Amino acid sequence: MADERSKVADRPDILEKPDILRPPKPAPLVTFPIDVIVPEGRQQTPAVGQRASRADGRLHGLGQTKYIDDMYLPNMLFAKIKRAGTGSARIKSIDTKEAEAMPGVVAIITARDIPCNSFGPSLQDQPVLADTRVFHAGDGVAAVAAETEQIATEALEKIKVEYEVLSPVLDPLESLKLETPGVHAPSANVYGHKIIKKGDVQKAFAESDRIFEGTFRTQMVEHVPLEPYACIAQWDANGRLTIYSTLGRITLGRADVARTLGIPMSRIRIVATVVGGNFGGKNEIRAEPIVGLLSKKTGRPVKCTYTRPEEFYASTTRHPLIMDYKTGVTNKGKILGRKIRLVLDGGAYCSWSETTLGKACILSAGPYNIDNVEAEAFVVYTNKTMTGAMRGFGAPQVCFAYESHMDDMAHALGIDPIDIRLMNAFEEGSISPTGQKLHSVVAKESILRAAKRFGWNGLGNGNGSDNGHGNGNGTGVKA
Amino acid sequence: MVTVTLKVNGKTRSATVPPETTLLRMLRDQFDLTGAKLGCDVGDCGACTVIVDGQPVNSCLMLAGQSEGCEVLTIEGLADIDHMHPLQKLFEHFGSLQCGFCGPGVIMSAKALLDANSNPCTQEIRDALGGNLCRCTGYSKMIEAIKGAACIMRGEELPAVK
Amino acid sequence: MKAFELFAAENADHAVAILAKHAATAKVKVIAGGTDLLADWKFSPHGPDVVVDISRADELKNIAVNEQGLVIGSMVTHSQIMKSPVIRQMFPALVHAAHTIGAVQTRNRGTLGGNLVTAVPSMDSGPTLMALEAIVTVIGATGRRQVPLSEFFLGPRKTILKPDELLAEIIIPKANLGKPTHFYKFGLRKGQALALVNAAASFWVDWDKNVFVAPRVALGAVAPKVIRAPQAEAFLEGRKITPEAMEEAGRIAVNDARPITDFRASADYRKNLVAVLTKRCIEGAYELAQKQRQEGTNGNGNA
Repeated sequence: MADERSKVADRPDILEKPDILRPPKPAPLVTFPIDVIVPEGRQQTPAVGQRASRADGRLHGLGQTKYIDDMYLPNMLFAKIKRAGTGSARIKSIDTKEAEAMPGVVAIITARDIPCNSFGPSLQDQPVLADTRVFHAGDGVAAVAAETEQIATEALEKIKVEYEVLSPVLDPLESLKLETPGVHAPSANVYGHKIIKKGDVQKAFAESDRIFEGTFRTQMVEHVPLEPYACIAQWDANGRLTIYSTLGRITLGRADVARTLGIPMSRIRIVATVVGGNFGGKNEIRAEPIVGLLSKKTGRPVKCTYTRPEEFYASTTRHPLIMDYKTGVTNKGKILGRKIRLVLDGGAYCSWSETTLGKACILSAGPYNIDNVEAEAFVVYTNKTMTGAMRGFGAPQVCFAYESHMDDMAHALGIDPIDIRLMNAFEEGSISPTGQKLHSVVAKESILRAAKRFGWNGLGNGNGSDNGHGNGNGTGVKA
Repeated sequence: MVTVTLKVNGKTRSATVPPETTLLRMLRDQFDLTGAKLGCDVGDCGACTVIVDGQPVNSCLMLAGQSEGCEVLTIEGLADIDHMHPLQKLFEHFGSLQCGFCGPGVIMSAKALLDANSNPCTQEIRDALGGNLCRCTGYSKMIEAIKGAACIMRGEELPAVK
Repeated sequence: MKAFELFAAENADHAVAILAKHAATAKVKVIAGGTDLLADWKFSPHGPDVVVDISRADELKNIAVNEQGLVIGSMVTHSQIMKSPVIRQMFPALVHAAHTIGAVQTRNRGTLGGNLVTAVPSMDSGPTLMALEAIVTVIGATGRRQVPLSEFFLGPRKTILKPDELLAEIIIPKANLGKPTHFYKFGLRKGQALALVNAAASFWVDWDKNVFVAPRVALGAVAPKVIRAPQAEAFLEGRKITPEAMEEAGRIAVNDARPITDFRASADYRKNLVAVLTKRCIEGAYELAQKQRQEGTNGNGNA
C-alpha cells in the first residue's frame, strides 16, 4: 500500500501550472427570487450504509490529538475542589489557614469570592461553590490552586469545614409529597411539571376489554466519558479571560461565566477543542468560574481536571424515573387509552431537568396511535447527584417502560409481541399525543425488517436460534 | 525525590520526580508524551496503556521508580517521519475511533497482541482489548482494523471491505 | 495519592532489612506489581508513609519443581503463570484462574504473591491453591518459616504477615503434583470482574473402584476468607463417581459457605452459585483426570 504523504517534488504539475496556486474565481451573485427545492420525502440519504472515515482519525491514531489535559501553559497552576461528602448540611465554618500556609499552595477560594454564585441552563439554582448550604455530596465547598496537582490534592485534606449535617431527602416519591421538607426550602420540591392530554382517557378505559397497569423504574446512569472534565483559564493584561474547556456548549458557557464572574461576555473567550466523549455530561459549566477566579487571583493560568470519582458524584447523571403506566386495550390488543405518571429524580439542582421532563412526557406514550392519552410528569429535588443531560433526555427511560409494558400486555393477551406493536404503531400521517402530524414514518417497516433480521418466527415458534450475532439466547423486542 | 533513567521510544530519558509519581505522570508531565491518557488513574479503563519491556501495562499503576532501566514504548513511538504503523493506518481507514481518547491505549494493546500473535481470531482480539474501555464506538471497527493490520503485517492483501 | 518515601530493594533480603528498619515507626507497605495497592491509594488520604519496592527481587520470580514440590516465587506474574510450560502441563486450573484476573495489563504486572497478600475473600488465585493444599514461605528479620495457605489468611485484607515480613514462595506439595483440579469463577462480566463466587475442586481417581480419592473443595467470596468445604469433601471421599454425587456435593458445599448480601449479589444467589460452581469444578476435574489417564500424562499419584 502506497504511503499517503506526497511531497511537492512528487507533484511536478504544481510547478508547471501556476494557475493552480491562484485563488479561484468568485462565485456568481445570488439573484432573487431563489428557487426553493422541496426535497422528496422518505428518501434514504446516500450516506447511510457507506463507510466513513473521520477527518480526525489520523491524529487520534498517532496520539497527536491535544485534549484539554494535554495542554500546558507556561507558569500554570493546578486546581482541585474540595467536595462536601454529605447529602444535606449547613456549613458552619470553613478554615483554610492551614492549607494556605502549605508550601506550593498559591490561592484558595470559597463561595464568598464568587461575584454571583448561581448559574444553570434553565433555572439558575446551581452554585459554583456551596455557600451556607450543601445540597449533595458532590457540592464543592472550596477550591485550591497550587504548583502541582499533588500539592493541590494534599491541600484539600488540610481545609477544615464544619458541617451541621441535616437529614437528606433521597427518595423522589417522598420528595413529591407536600409534607416532605423542601430540599431548597422555601422553594417547593416539585420544580417542573408537565401535562399532556389528548382525547378522553377515562372514557377509553370504560370502553376497554382489559386494563393493564405497571410501574417501571430506571436507575441513575453516569456518562463515563473516557476523558474527565477539564478546563484552563488565563487572563490577559486587557482584562480578557480565555478558557480552554471540554465544555460542549460554549455560548451557554460564556453566558454563565459572564454571569458568575460579573464581567461582560465580550471579555470572555471559550475555546473548546476535541473532546474525549461528552454524551451530555459536559453540557454546562463546571469549574470554569473557579479556574477563572483562581487565575485572576494568582495572575497565572490555572488548570482543573476532574478525577474519575468526581465524574461520578460531582457531575450530572441521567435522571432516574419512576413511571406508572395504565393502558386500556381491546382483547385483540388495540390500545384505546393510556394514562401515564412520571416522576423524575431531579437531583440537587435543575441542570437540564426541564428539557428532560418535556421530552420524557411527550414521548412517554410511545410511537403508537393512541387516541386518548393523559401524561403527567413531575421533576423533584433530592439531595442526590445532579441529574442533567444524557443521550436521550428522558427518551430511553420511557422507552424501557412502554416497551416492557407492551410485552407484559402481549404476554397476558396471548398475542405475538411483534403483532401487537404492528397493530398500534404510528403510520404516515399519524397524530402524536401533542397533536403533531407525523411524516416520514417508517415504524412498521422497521419493526418488520428488524423481526426478519433477528429471525423472529412468531410467538412460540422457537425464537432465539443463531441470528448471526452470537449466543443463541432469547431475543426481545423494542420498537 | 527519585531519579529514573529508562529508554522511552528508543531514546534514553531521565527525570527526577517525587516518589509517588506514576509512570503515566512522568511520561506526560516530564517527557511531554501526552499520548497515554489519564482516564481513571486506577487501572480500570486502559487509556494509559503503554508497552513496558514488551508487555502492555497500565502506566497509572506503575510507579515511575519501578520503570528504572526499562524499555517503554508509547503511541508516539509507533510511527516514524515517513510511515504510520499498519494499526494506525487502518484505524484511520476504518474509522475505528470517534472521540479518540481511548485510541492510544487500544492501539498499544493491539500492537502487543500482534507482536505475539500474527493471526489473532476475534476472541483473541477481544481478550487482548479486555482492559481497554471505549465509550464511543462499540469496538467492532477496532476489531476489523486489527485483523486488517495483522493481514498487512503478514504481507497479505486486505480482505474486501463489506 | 498521599506522598510517601520509596525504597527500591535489590533483593528479598535487602527488602527485609528495609522493612525491619521502618516497620516499627511508620506505616510501611511492600509493593510488587502495585495493581491492587496503587488503585487503593490513589483516592485515599490514608496511604502508607514508606513503600518498599521489591519488583527487582529476581530470586522471587522463579518457577521450579524440586523435592518440595512446585515452587512458585511470589513475584511471578499472572501472565507468567499462564505462559509457564510446567504449570500449563501440571495445573491447567492455575492457568485458567490466572486468566480470569483483571485484564491483560493487570496480569502483566500483578503477582501471585500480591494477590494472596492483598487477601480479598474473592481473590482468584486462592481457591485453586487452597484445594491443592499449598504452603507458603514467609521471610522476615527472624528468618524463614512455612505456613499452610489454609492458615495464611485471617480475614478480609488480613494475613499472618507481620509488618516486617515478606511472602517469598508458594509451594504445591510434591504429593499433589499433577492432581486433577478445576477452577471456576463467576463474575458479573467476562473480564475485569470481581468474583461473586469462585470455587476449585481437586481429587485423585481410583480407576478400579471408580471413587473419589483425597477430594478437596475450596470456595472464595462466600466467607471472610477463602475456605475449604469440609462437609462436601467428607461426602466425596471414597464415594462412587457419578453425576448425582457431583450434584449432591455441590448442594452440601452450600452448608460450608457463609455468603453475605451486598450490592453485587444476595446471599441466596451466592448460595445457588456455590452449588452450581462446585458441581462444575468436580465435573471439570474429573474430565481432566480422564484426559490425563488417556494421555498417560498423570505425573504422580493414582493413575
